[in-house]
Amino acid sequence: MYTNKKECVAMLLAGGQGTRLYSLTRDLAKPAVSFGGKYRIIDFPLSNCINSNIDTIGVLTQYKPFDLNQYIGNGQPWDLDRLNGGVFVLPPYMKGETSDWYKGTANAIYQNIEFVDKFSPEYVLVLSGDHIYKMDYAQMLAYHKEKKADCTIAVINVSIDEASRFGIMNTNPDNSVYEFEEKPKKPKSTNASMGIYIFNWSKLRKYLIDDENDKNSSNDFGKNIIPNMLKDGQKLFAYNFSGYWKDVGTISSLWEANMDVLNEDSGINLDDSAWKIYARNTAEPPHHVGKDAVIRNSLITEGCKINGKVSNSVLSTGVEICEGAVVEDCNIMPGAKICKGAVVKYAIVGSNAVVGENAVVGDKQTEPVNGQWQITVVGPNAKVAPNTVVPVKAMVD
Amino acid sequence: MNNTMSIIFASDNESKLNELTLHRTTASLPFCGRYRCIDFVLSNLVNSSVTTIGIITRSNYSSLMDHIRMGRDWDLNRKNSGIAVFPPYASNTSTNVFKGKIEALYGILDYIENSDDEYVIVTNSNIIASIDFDDVYDAHVASGADITMLTYESKPTTSKRVIVEKDFTGRVTGMRITKSASEENAELGLFCYLFKRTQLVSLITETYERGKIDLEKDVLQSNVDNLKIYAYKVKGHAALVDDIKSYYNESMATLDTEIRDSLFYSVGKVFTKVKDSVPTRYCEGAKVVNSLIADGCRINGKVENSILFRGVIVEEGAVIRNSIVMEGGKIMKGSKLNYAITDKDVTVTEDKSLSGSESYPVVVVKNKTV
Repeated sequence: MYTNKKECVAMLLAGGQGTRLYSLTRDLAKPAVSFGGKYRIIDFPLSNCINSNIDTIGVLTQYKPFDLNQYIGNGQPWDLDRLNGGVFVLPPYMKGETSDWYKGTANAIYQNIEFVDKFSPEYVLVLSGDHIYKMDYAQMLAYHKEKKADCTIAVINVSIDEASRFGIMNTNPDNSVYEFEEKPKKPKSTNASMGIYIFNWSKLRKYLIDDENDKNSSNDFGKNIIPNMLKDGQKLFAYNFSGYWKDVGTISSLWEANMDVLNEDSGINLDDSAWKIYARNTAEPPHHVGKDAVIRNSLITEGCKINGKVSNSVLSTGVEICEGAVVEDCNIMPGAKICKGAVVKYAIVGSNAVVGENAVVGDKQTEPVNGQWQITVVGPNAKVAPNTVVPVKAMVD
Repeated sequence: MNNTMSIIFASDNESKLNELTLHRTTASLPFCGRYRCIDFVLSNLVNSSVTTIGIITRSNYSSLMDHIRMGRDWDLNRKNSGIAVFPPYASNTSTNVFKGKIEALYGILDYIENSDDEYVIVTNSNIIASIDFDDVYDAHVASGADITMLTYESKPTTSKRVIVEKDFTGRVTGMRITKSASEENAELGLFCYLFKRTQLVSLITETYERGKIDLEKDVLQSNVDNLKIYAYKVKGHAALVDDIKSYYNESMATLDTEIRDSLFYSVGKVFTKVKDSVPTRYCEGAKVVNSLIADGCRINGKVENSILFRGVIVEEGAVIRNSIVMEGGKIMKGSKLNYAITDKDVTVTEDKSLSGSESYPVVVVKNKTV
């Protein structure tokens, strides 16, 4: 029988600015930031959804949405152009007398209750658009059903030192959650929330409405919804995930995640025919490697023109490395050009940026300082003048 | 030029691509790392807003159907236009596989007659060029031609070539259809024409009814005096791929930056079927010089003056020179390739050596293990 009904609808929170990425997100939302040569961050949750047989996804956008909207388009690259379901971009909208920006993660879903209701789902999967990982949500959903949970939260085991940077789920032996602590000073466990939730829609719907009526609430899943459900004795379970997962919210972690794609032992294998990551294609010819090029341990994609030396780097679509240029341990975003004789090390070069002839950007790093790599950033469309030196950790706009 | 439709011939019975077209049409012959020959013509048409496109196939067309599907990758999955693929026996008049292009066009006359478009571009699929059809149309209108034929400058080969003779206005005054190679450059036909649709319909009908089947000989050559046929010389690089030698030479030509700029960055983008391959990985042992590398490869050996298609694996110590390795090729440890063309999914096992010469590259057929 034909019906609009979907068992599970995904809601992807993609409205954040990602202020800690500075100039990289000045003109676009964080989920639209380029990653791993030919991807954008949002390709990961979108591909995970389609690979997990979830074909109805609302993408909640707010901050600088045009690049993201254009990138998602009708969803065809992810096989999400469907007659019933598919991908929907959901910006805030006017409602009778009122209209509001999305005030928080929970409020964003609250404002789209009618959208979710159209598919009468049993479950809603809440995702965020700033993580790099491959995960089968279908397995998590099966776990949620098996536990007869009201809410299941994906967690990853982090080191005790890191634990105070995350939302921590304290669990009973059966994995049910008895307490949630946001960035605890003295963590009791190391189960960090990955920001991935499955809710029974009828329950979540009620909590969203109650939360909206609470004037003191900050309308946030971690701060309000989860604690309220715990307080009321709802059944919350932790779902342990053990694969690769990385929050790419900072310059250091974004750079590091790109390096992880290079490192075949890191656990984020993108060359996996059983779990493809899809991306919108830009119709560029194969990359050309010139007579003087030297390339070692790097990822290079369509449209690149390489005539210089490239090592330990991830080059995105249409990047040009001219003769005598040296690129080491870098992530170069689409369309950027490194001119003759320029030297770029431990840097992120933004889309369509130009590093002028004989300029020097960044320098070799041996280890992170307080957990943060000292990465130099050339912002999107920025121009580094010839013969200039951009010091370590500087940002060129 | 959104008042124009197009008919593409997927294969040319004159082509001599031998092993490379055992399993496919000329149209679906892999070219330049991630394309099929037909991608160039299709993209040129789409870039000039020609979106009603019929493709006439003759045999071996499953690889073409798999490549084109609904035409989505060229933005041709449209409501009121888009791609139509005509297999042989598509109409009730065809009792045999067609021998000549006129016969084939007569078989789909309804498709051409039912269109509202004013013009038709009739073209082969083995043209490697970036053609601005809007400019062709402007030239057609300016010259007052009945038919505009596209030409390029090259040396005639032993494949069928049309040598064009024209007067100072560009009007074609004579044609020589030849299979004799020559060392001298001449203006040659690209097997791509712009017709007025109603005139094409009557030319097809009349020629077919007189028992003639050949487009070049029976429609163009024999009407040089009656019809105003004008030549339009394609700007930039242009080539026809119709034998192993031209396939090899034209592939290698794309290693030249100027030719690549002409093909990919002069008029519009070249679209092809998207396969979602990962970026290519260069390992510690990679040493690549003057080569074109598609996505999804894994390179740990030497590659020089060569073209690697998607998903090729070059193991440690393997050496590939002056060669073309098609999709899914696996060149194992210590193997050497020189002047070789390996078709899709060929494996060259450890320490083997394959060597041809520039004029006779060795060809390894699809799915073989050496």
